[in-house]
Amino acid sequence: MNLGFLVGVFGVLILSHAAYSTIQYRGLLKIMEEEFSRPPINVILELIIGLALCMWAALTFPGKFLSIHPDSDENRAVFLPDNSDFMIFNHRGRLFPPQIDMKF
Amino acid sequence: MLVSSSKITRAREMVTKTEEKQLNQLEIQVDNGGGGTWEYLCLVRNLKVRRSEKVLKHGSSILNDQKKRSALGPDEWTLNEQVAIAAMDCQCLGVAQSCIKALQTKFPGSKRVGRLEALLLEAKGLWGEAEEAYASLLEDNPLDQAIHKRRVAISKALGKPSIAIELLNKYLELFMADHDAWRELAELYLSLQMYKQAAFCYEELILSQPTVPLYHLAYAEVLYTIGGVENIISARKYYAATVDLTGGKNTRALLGICLCASAIAQLSKGRNKEDKDATAAPELHSLAAAAVEKEYKQKAPDKLQLISSALRILKT
Repeated sequence: MNLGFLVGVFGVLILSHAAYSTIQYRGLLKIMEEEFSRPPINVILELIIGLALCMWAALTFPGKFLSIHPDSDENRAVFLPDNSDFMIFNHRGRLFPPQIDMKF
Repeated sequence: MLVSSSKITRAREMVTKTEEKQLNQLEIQVDNGGGGTWEYLCLVRNLKVRRSEKVLKHGSSILNDQKKRSALGPDEWTLNEQVAIAAMDCQCLGVAQSCIKALQTKFPGSKRVGRLEALLLEAKGLWGEAEEAYASLLEDNPLDQAIHKRRVAISKALGKPSIAIELLNKYLELFMADHDAWRELAELYLSLQMYKQAAFCYEELILSQPTVPLYHLAYAEVLYTIGGVENIISARKYYAATVDLTGGKNTRALLGICLCASAIAQLSKGRNKEDKDATAAPELHSLAAAAVEKEYKQKAPDKLQLISSALRILKT
């Protein structure tokens, strides 16, 4: 859980650094009076890695995925709830009531 | 610090493996004094399971504590109702009386509290007075489903299932989409060994909720009980549907398939071999037997030999 959060933060930092590098690069191009065609290769690599890290963190950090199939092991029906609307009280349990003290 | 649990809207009327595991873990935690009492009580109420003794014990410990009670806010009255019903189930009528008295003070003239009072009369065994209370409540609100159901329950408690069946049939003429009532009617018919009528009830349940595997299982068992080649062939189909809907994890249905296949083989001995339904899916028997053996190998290895010999007898 904590690892996912750290990876996400690291990914956002990498993306921020890529943006900052692009701004620096455009400033440098202005000084040299050249046209901007595309970011340098290291910035593109930073973008790809940052995106991958952010996506991985977004998928793992908030929580694990739950199965949606009704016949999977965790979703299958094991029993029906008791029919509480038709519950009756004269059963054999009435012979052994538990001892409970109420003070309110 | 107790936190109120949000209300969960349930789309399906069954308890899944995850919910059962969660409930059992929370129950162990609460029993060992590890906190989470309110979460446990909410889960019991939402899943509609009947854990009256534990609800009574842990619920009353919250109600006895003024600080915990105040922290609940409006949920205190829901807890009062829950503990009152659990107390009646455990025959602790004094506790139930205290809870109902608190609810009466808070909600004077409430029909819901009136129903609880009548429920207390039932728990005391005062059936006549309870009937009168329900009759007076029905005068104000003739279409109250819960009160109609309580009248059925009174007949059941008095040991008169025929009257209960009659009342339930009248009820289902008005509220034919009530799944709980159909299920209760099926169980009443089964208690009187009226299997054809019980089968009809389960057919209604399967029509309204075809994805609930436990209705398929119950229907298959009723058909198997009725007997006859046609019924056992149909039972095998519904056992197979149960296996399909539970991902192959319902051991009862797997054993049902083995029994049906064996019964079909016995009943069809010397008869027409061209019957397509009887000879359909011949590998179903061996596959179900293999699945049962695999399950026993995992969960009960000491009984594997017993189940293997039983399955071998069924195959002959």
